[in-house]
Formats: sequence, C-alpha cells, structure tokens
Amino acid sequence: MSLLKLEDITMWFGGVAALKNFNLELTPGEIVGLIGPNGAGKTTVFNIITGVYKPSRGQVFFKDQEITGMRPDLITKAGIARTFQNIRLFKGLSVLENVLIANHLHLKANYLTAILKLPGYWKEERMMREKSLALLERVGLADQRDELASALPYGLQRRLEIARALATNPQLLLLDEPAAGMNPKEADDLTEFIKEIQQEFDLTIFLIEHHMDVVLNISQRIFVLDYGMTIAKGKPEEVQNNPRVIEAYLGVDENVED
Amino acid sequence: MAAQKNNYRILTIVSLLLLLVFIGFAENHLDLYIVRILNVCAIYAILGMSMNLINGFTGLFSLGHAGFMAVGAYTTALLTIPPAIKAQIFYLAPLIKPLDQMNLPFPVALFVGGLLAAVVGGLIAAPTLRLKGDYLAIATLGFAEIIRVVFTNTQTITNGALGLKGIPALTNLWWSFGAAAFTLVVLLSLINSSYGRALKAIREDEIAAESMGIHLAKHKTLSFVIGAFFAGIGGGLLGNLLGTIDPKMFSFTFTFNILLIIVLGGMGSFSGSIISAFIVTIANEYLRFLDESIKVGMRSVVFSALLMFVVLFYRHGLMGANEFSWERLFGNKVYQKTLGRWTKRPRKGGYAG
Repeated sequence: MSLLKLEDITMWFGGVAALKNFNLELTPGEIVGLIGPNGAGKTTVFNIITGVYKPSRGQVFFKDQEITGMRPDLITKAGIARTFQNIRLFKGLSVLENVLIANHLHLKANYLTAILKLPGYWKEERMMREKSLALLERVGLADQRDELASALPYGLQRRLEIARALATNPQLLLLDEPAAGMNPKEADDLTEFIKEIQQEFDLTIFLIEHHMDVVLNISQRIFVLDYGMTIAKGKPEEVQNNPRVIEAYLGVDENVED
Repeated sequence: MAAQKNNYRILTIVSLLLLLVFIGFAENHLDLYIVRILNVCAIYAILGMSMNLINGFTGLFSLGHAGFMAVGAYTTALLTIPPAIKAQIFYLAPLIKPLDQMNLPFPVALFVGGLLAAVVGGLIAAPTLRLKGDYLAIATLGFAEIIRVVFTNTQTITNGALGLKGIPALTNLWWSFGAAAFTLVVLLSLINSSYGRALKAIREDEIAAESMGIHLAKHKTLSFVIGAFFAGIGGGLLGNLLGTIDPKMFSFTFTFNILLIIVLGGMGSFSGSIISAFIVTIANEYLRFLDESIKVGMRSVVFSALLMFVVLFYRHGLMGANEFSWERLFGNKVYQKTLGRWTKRPRKGGYAG
C-alpha cells in the first residue's frame, strides 16, 4: 500500500513549468530525500502535497484518497505535516503556545464552550497541555517553554518547528531543508533526531535537503530534480554515482577546476 | 508566593468593590457632564476592545467598525423609542411595521443590536476573507460606508438623513461599565482559549497557521462576528446615551478614533484599550479649548499627530501585547524606585515577585 502517491504532476507558473510529469510513491515508514539545484522545483512539490498550490495537471493521493488542491488545513488534518524552508514559527508567541496551536485542529469543543470554559473544554485543554509539555520534554525544549519562539537560537527554532509539526499527529512529515544553515555537528545531531522521531512516532518522512551528508545518511531512497524534471531516483549510492546527477547537481565545472 | 497571590486577589476584590462604590456615587452625586464623559469612556473601552480583537489579536486590518456600531445603535434605538415618539420622528415617511409598535427592554434591545451587528460582521467577513493588509482595510472601509449610505436612504426604517431623535436616555454608568466588564470577561476568556491561540497564530503567520490545521476562513469569521457583536452593543449604548443619532455620526472619523485608542493602548492588549479609551476620551474633553480658541478641528490635528508619534516611536503602545496584572504593576521598576524613596529603605526586590 502506498501512503502518498503523486501521479503525473505538472505545475505551470505563467510560461514556466516548475514541475513536469512528476511521479512519486511513498510507502509507510520510509525516509525519502528530494534533492536538486536551486529552483529545481523541490518546494513546489511540497506546496502541491500540502495544498498550497493546485497542480496544473495530475493528481495527489494520500492513503488512497484524492487530496489534489484540497484546503491546506484539511490536508494537515488528514495526517500530513510540514516544516518550512525559511522557518515560520509563531514568533511573538511562547514555545509552549506554538505547540499548543498545533493541537487546535483536534479540539472538539466549539467556541462557545471554550468561552464559557465548560468542563468539556477544560478537559481537552488540560490534555492538550499535557501532550504539548510531554512533546517539548521529548525534543528537549521543556526548559524554554515560556520563552518567545523568536528568542530561541536558530538550531532550536528548527527543532521547535519539527515539534510543532509532530503535535498535529501526522503520518507523513515533510521537512523542507531541516539542516539549512547548520554546521556539520548540528547537522549530525539533527540526522540522529530525525531518525529517532521517525521510529518513535511511526512516521514516513519526505525531506528536501542540500546537506549531502544528511541526505545520503538518512534516506532510503532519493529523488533528484532539475528544472522540474526527475533526472534520477533510487538508493543513495546509485544516485550518488549517476552521471546525470553529478553533472546537474554536484556540478561539472567544479570537478574540472579541481 | 502563595501569600502574595492571595494578597493580589484581595487587592482585585477591593478594587472592584471600590469601582462599584464609585459608580454608585458618580451616578447619584456627580455632575451630569462628568457622568456623561465616564459613560463615553466605558463605551469607547468596549469599542476599543472589540476592534482590538479583530485588528490586534487576529491581525486583520479592518476599518469597518463604525458600520458595526451604526447597526447596533440604530437597532437598539428603534427597539427602545416609545411608539408615540416614533410617530413624531418619522414625519416624512412612516416607520415600517412592526417596528413602529415595537418596544423592548433596554438589555434585550442591546443584545438584539449586537446580534444584528454580528450578522453584518459575518456578511462583511465572507467576501473579504481572502484579502490581506491594505486591501482588507479598503474593503472593510467601503463596507462601512455602504452601511452609512444605506442608512441615509432607507427612510422608512432609519428615518434617513434626519436621524433618530428622542431616544430614551437609558444608558447609565451601571449599563456602560457593566457592558464593558462583560466585554472584557468574554473577550479575555476567548483569547485565553484554544480559539484565541488560533487567532493569534493567524496574526503571527497565516501560512504556518493554515499548515497547522487552522481553518482560516472559520476563525477569521469568528473574530469578525464577535468583534462586530460588541461593537454593536457599544453603538447601542452610545445611541441611548446621546439621545440622537444620524448616519453622519458613523463616518470614518469614528473608526479612526477607535483605531487611535487601540494603537495607543497596544495592539493585542485589552487592558491597554481600556486605559487608552479613558485617556483619549478625557483628553478629548480637556482639549476642547483648542477647537474653541483656535479653530474647529484642532483637536483632530493633535490626535492625528499623536497617532503618528506612537506609530513612529512607540509602536508597542502603552501595554504592548501584555495585559494588566498586579505582578506587573508592582514589579515595575519605576514603582519600585518610588517605593524605595518613600519608605527610605534600600530595596531588595521584595516586591519583585
């Protein structure tokens, strides 16, 4: 059974095809990488999966249900969570609030019950808090729970963004360049962290990453995009040695200069 | 700590009792002019808080508040003016049935006014939800103007440009302060709930909020509807305080005054809106001499300049996004210094919490 399936996706922006005939199938429990030079269409893939864009052509299926162009919040509810390339935390709110907000989609109490603070609402609020605190504890942000999200150091902001995505109870987690701007040590820690949460939360992970060490280490399969076309896919070692990838992504010029 | 918390609780209760005593005293013994200003203060506090919910907490730059107020003011007035007086006011064209015979108790009329304003808020929210920033401001401003123009032309309901006169003076300090307290309690409860957090998330980052599963349209509408409800109640109280209303009253200038209040008080702070409502209303009276001695409209110049100053140099306003609390007040550095000077003891942060 496939968890996520993209069939023949094409996305036009004006006269430019950001993505051409893109196909993808993820099976539950995998970690799959998506790489490619800048502007190759990687984030476009994420935006199509999460409903930010409706593809010009093609279909998206999640657990065999079509979700093409569905409202983003409904897609999140269905079980797909994401992080963003340029961190999008709720900067003016506390670390705890950031995670609590991601619990809101599971709230059953309506707004009147919430305003009147009826027992039903209290129960849910308490559960949300317990769950959020446990999650913060797990990702190592419990001590900073009352700090503003914007006050966290960069690496922890990345971590909080992942924690926030986890709070929505996803089955599929999309990570958009989680190691961007990290030094090798931080990137290593992150790799371990991603592997751990993948096991603990029983996730399927699809990630975009420029850090080669991270992608090659973490992914079971890798897709390579260039100018909206899939130029290679397969196991890390296969992709690594694929001449088209080396040419398009790792760069021929650099090798010549060396 | 626990003892201190208890002290603060006692302090809160004492302050509330003092407020009640003050209202009782003011209502019966103070000059009518002062009572009227106090009423206006409380009403502006309601209007400020309700606008702050939409603009400050949800981050939707809406300029339609005067429209919501107009709906509330007209509804409450029409439901409270005695039938005999209605017949006198509507001399150009009679008031339509069954409004001409309707006469409801003040609180019920206020509530209906709030509900109708909420409906209008929902109607405005629906088509403008996709808009952001300046575009939303322009669209909501347009809607408020449409309401005003409609009210000018529906002679048989609103009495057109003549406006409504002889509205019974039912608003007193109990009603205005009571409604303000009710507004504060409801809005604080909303904002401290999961729904309130969702609204703040929309303000912080709409795209992230949506990808966290927050239904943007639903929550923005919620904010508009609740904000409009309290704006309607504020409008109703105002109409029954002034005794006359006409469409011109609810022009953009009115929205601007409330915008000034929430910016000065702090976008995202209800207590800031209350404090600033009192400051602006009272200052407005003190500065009356400017209009009389220099030129009519001088006060607006002062307030506009103040708004510019706040936006340029003091963007957080009086309270920023914080609410009033005794801890904050007593933990304040200025207060600590004054305290130290008065008691002539070196302060050791005993009150710092």
